[in-house]
Amino acid sequence: MRRGLIAATGIAALMAGVAACGTGGEAESGADGFKGQTLTLWAMDGSTPEQWEKDVKAAFEKKTGAKLKLEVQQWNGIQQKITTALSEPDPPDVIEVGNTQTPAYAKTGGLADLGDLKKDIGTDWTESVNKSAVYGGKQYAAPWYTVNRTVIYNKRIWRDAGIDKTPRTRAEFFDALDAVEKKTDAEPLYLPGQNWYFFDGLLIGKDAGLIKKQGGKWVSNLADPKVGSAMKLYEKYASYSDAPKDKDEATPQQAEVFAKGKTGAFIGLGWEAATAVEANPEIKKDIGYFTIPGESADKPEGVFLGGSNLAVAAGSEKQELAKEFLKIALSDKFEGALAEEGGVIPNKHSLQKKVEGNPAAEAAAPAVAGGGLTPLIPQWAAVENPPNPVKSYMTAVLKGKSHAAAAESVEDEINKRLSQKQ
Amino acid sequence: MSVRTHDAPPPVRSTPPTRPRRPRPGDGAPHGGRERRSAGGLPYLLLLPALAATAVLLGWPLVMNGLLSFQNLNMTQLIQHVTEWAGTDNYRDTLGSEDFWRVTLRSVLFTAVNVALIMLFGTLTGLLLARLGPRMRLLLCAGLVLAWAMPVIAATTVYQWLFAQRFGVVNWVLDAVGFHSMAGFNWTGGQMSTFFVISLLIVWTSVPFVAINLYAATTTIPKELYEAASLDGASAAQSFATVTLPFLRPFLLVTTFLEVIWIFKAFPHIFAVNEGGPDRLTETLPVYAFVEGVGNQHYGMGAAISVLTILILLALMSYYLRIAMRQEEDEK
Amino acid sequence: MKGPLTRRGGRPGSRPGSRARTWARVWPNATALVLFAGFVFPVYWMFSTAFKPDSDIVTDSPVWFPSRPTLEHFATAVQAENFWTLVRNSVTVTLVAVGLALLIALFAAFALARMRFAGRRSIVLVFMVAQMAPWEVMVIAIYMTVRDADMLNSLVPLTLFYTVMVLPLTILTLRGYVAAVPKELEESAMVDGCGRTQAFRRVIFPLLAPGVMATSLFGFITAWNEFPMVLILNKDAQAQTLPLWLSGFQTAFGDDWGATMAAASLFALPILLLFLYLQRKAVSGLTAGAVKG
Repeated sequence: MRRGLIAATGIAALMAGVAACGTGGEAESGADGFKGQTLTLWAMDGSTPEQWEKDVKAAFEKKTGAKLKLEVQQWNGIQQKITTALSEPDPPDVIEVGNTQTPAYAKTGGLADLGDLKKDIGTDWTESVNKSAVYGGKQYAAPWYTVNRTVIYNKRIWRDAGIDKTPRTRAEFFDALDAVEKKTDAEPLYLPGQNWYFFDGLLIGKDAGLIKKQGGKWVSNLADPKVGSAMKLYEKYASYSDAPKDKDEATPQQAEVFAKGKTGAFIGLGWEAATAVEANPEIKKDIGYFTIPGESADKPEGVFLGGSNLAVAAGSEKQELAKEFLKIALSDKFEGALAEEGGVIPNKHSLQKKVEGNPAAEAAAPAVAGGGLTPLIPQWAAVENPPNPVKSYMTAVLKGKSHAAAAESVEDEINKRLSQKQ
Repeated sequence: MSVRTHDAPPPVRSTPPTRPRRPRPGDGAPHGGRERRSAGGLPYLLLLPALAATAVLLGWPLVMNGLLSFQNLNMTQLIQHVTEWAGTDNYRDTLGSEDFWRVTLRSVLFTAVNVALIMLFGTLTGLLLARLGPRMRLLLCAGLVLAWAMPVIAATTVYQWLFAQRFGVVNWVLDAVGFHSMAGFNWTGGQMSTFFVISLLIVWTSVPFVAINLYAATTTIPKELYEAASLDGASAAQSFATVTLPFLRPFLLVTTFLEVIWIFKAFPHIFAVNEGGPDRLTETLPVYAFVEGVGNQHYGMGAAISVLTILILLALMSYYLRIAMRQEEDEK
Repeated sequence: MKGPLTRRGGRPGSRPGSRARTWARVWPNATALVLFAGFVFPVYWMFSTAFKPDSDIVTDSPVWFPSRPTLEHFATAVQAENFWTLVRNSVTVTLVAVGLALLIALFAAFALARMRFAGRRSIVLVFMVAQMAPWEVMVIAIYMTVRDADMLNSLVPLTLFYTVMVLPLTILTLRGYVAAVPKELEESAMVDGCGRTQAFRRVIFPLLAPGVMATSLFGFITAWNEFPMVLILNKDAQAQTLPLWLSGFQTAFGDDWGATMAAASLFALPILLLFLYLQRKAVSGLTAGAVKG
């Protein structure tokens, strides 16, 4: 019916011509029978360092004869985008999925079973990291990398404030922030009110979680006094910042704020420094990193072990080619290169030494042992959908609501999302 | 008497209800007495493309949306292309939730306040246009057209910049004129201040339409009516009440209803300014349907909310539709 | 309020009393100036920010005029991948949708305004209700329909949906303009030996032209702006349109107001120019439609 209508309008040919532009391209000679094909990879903003991308593309093309098309995605609205994409007849072939969101997608049946690949190349994947990629005993994704946040600071500003060494304890860190506040006109710390990854890290430091299991059901745990004391800590940090209380670290990109050179420090991922340098190359020489300090010098602050897996869409017609890509991207060579260039923690212990010499990764490493994650359950992903109730809770407290009242105000929403029909 | 309320305002077609029409050279016969030739199948043929396109591209999605509203449709079902009928669960959940009714009330209030503001300022601005000299009128018209033509996505971006917490010009001006607490004020931090920004944006983009069209309508008021009124000794206010207002009434009625439709379903304005935040406190029905359906990936639920949204809008509009239909009848 | 608030009532010299007269002359003009400033300022601020160097944007007291204009923000904005593809897509989709809607609407409007037939009222009602459709809340139903027809990432469904989006208002508006054309003109043309089609082309259409232009503005602005549908239908960057670019830009450059305003300026410019160009015709079209009551 629709096709008939289009034909009748007489514009179909013209439009189809426009839509078809830009695809295709000449195939290069390659070893296998994938010549002329194009593999589409969805990676998140910041995941693929420049040199790594170039080298992987070259290696992939050389080995398979197929092309690799990288489409960089933004975190904002990504879940909806991936869900609809997985339902389409021509989905992206390989997708980067956040570790906390992987179980939800695994449950939908939209991801291909990668059991063979695991046997092939994944026997030495770090067990704890691989957990998020397994659902119901099946391997639905391949662990790619993990990251945790560090303090990224502006050495020049800290020098101006008379601070000569990086803090080892939380108290020292606050002293340093006080010094920056008093002695310079810079903002001591840029911390928007909704950096819930940092907040989750503080929670993990207090040995508490955002949700808990109660009578066989997952429910909100925000009312826990431990959550309140973690939030107190967050409030203290936020008091050093003029950042909006109702925005997260990506609106605006905190690295771009930092790039202006008027911010003493921010809590971020290693690759965010690259974003800052891109916005303002001048800043490069001033960037320094250190582990987020904890209560005492021997135990760093808890951190959220964010990470990403690479999954293959079940609906992709290029299953073999996708696996070929994973074999290349996750090979020791490129996994190591990613750790080296991107400063992320690789998916196997044997490659850990690759991050040596990358200052961001060196600062991140000590905190890993005390890191944690949100529960790896399919229900969790719904909580992260905007408007994320955890963020609403944080903003409410920062605006003066008591911890208990703020926790209560979002509890229903969290519980509703956790018990939402799947 | 033939008062014709047109459903779309640009061609403002109205005749004074109380006075006989002034004959105009070249003017056609009045509608009421129009003689039509027998058309046979031609009108249907002419209407076929429009009806077919509407049926296929609007009717079908509406039906589909209705079907979805009776389904349990979440990530899994969408990805697997499976249909899981859920009976009236979605409707029961929605109608039983306090949130839904709160949002409904908010939508109605939001629509009422904004339409009232738009009509008030639009009418005053239109009447002002009629009073101005030609040069000043052209200037104000140009200003109105600029605001009218601003694409909404660009407009929301600009408003976010005007009201930005840091370096926003609004906060600077407020601070400069003495409201020092407004320096660094976060406009999207509270429900009312967010609504203020959204309303200002909506009023700003909507007033020009009302004003320019109302001005156009006033130019059609026959001068003789005013002369007659002043001969009768009517004061300015009286002649406004007896001549201008009755003449404009049909126009005002149509425009009000059009604005109700537009404001009630306003989506990008609200969503782009603060995505219905803070804490979902500025969600109106269309935004609520979008957040619950697409945002929370609860697509069947979203469909149910959208069906209810359409029904509420239809109920709000039924009065208008009745009037409009009666007028269609008059014309025959 | 004083005066019969109409053009005539406000004419200078229309009443005695010099003080009252001066006042009556001053306040409308003063109010008009204030209103003008209020309506124009956001547009002005968008363009002026776009031309200012960063140091003039991020300041503690605003720089009111871009005295050191720069094009760097526009360079940043245009650098976006696929920018020109998006421009081409947006222009294509908008022009085709508006053209198609006008064509279809003209037929329908002619039938509704000039002919009498059974079911006319119901058909008018259909278009009135269609005009109320909240498209944004139906995106999932539309998405699933298009997906199952295997037509995602194409401009064709987008164009067709935009056509139907603007169609009802276009029909209802054009109907008024068609009805406003004196029937005698058409009839005399037919007496002179023109066929019905010819009469339409030679006599009615030229009279309708201003109305058609005025009506097309609605279509242009709707289609140019549409955002939620293209977001979900076309994930392929090759088939996206400018609103996605602008909103994505805003997310990525949230704090870079110069670049964001440059992007907004580029996005708004075509529509602003179109309005300014069509304004005289549109307003005179409106007036013409109004006069023929």
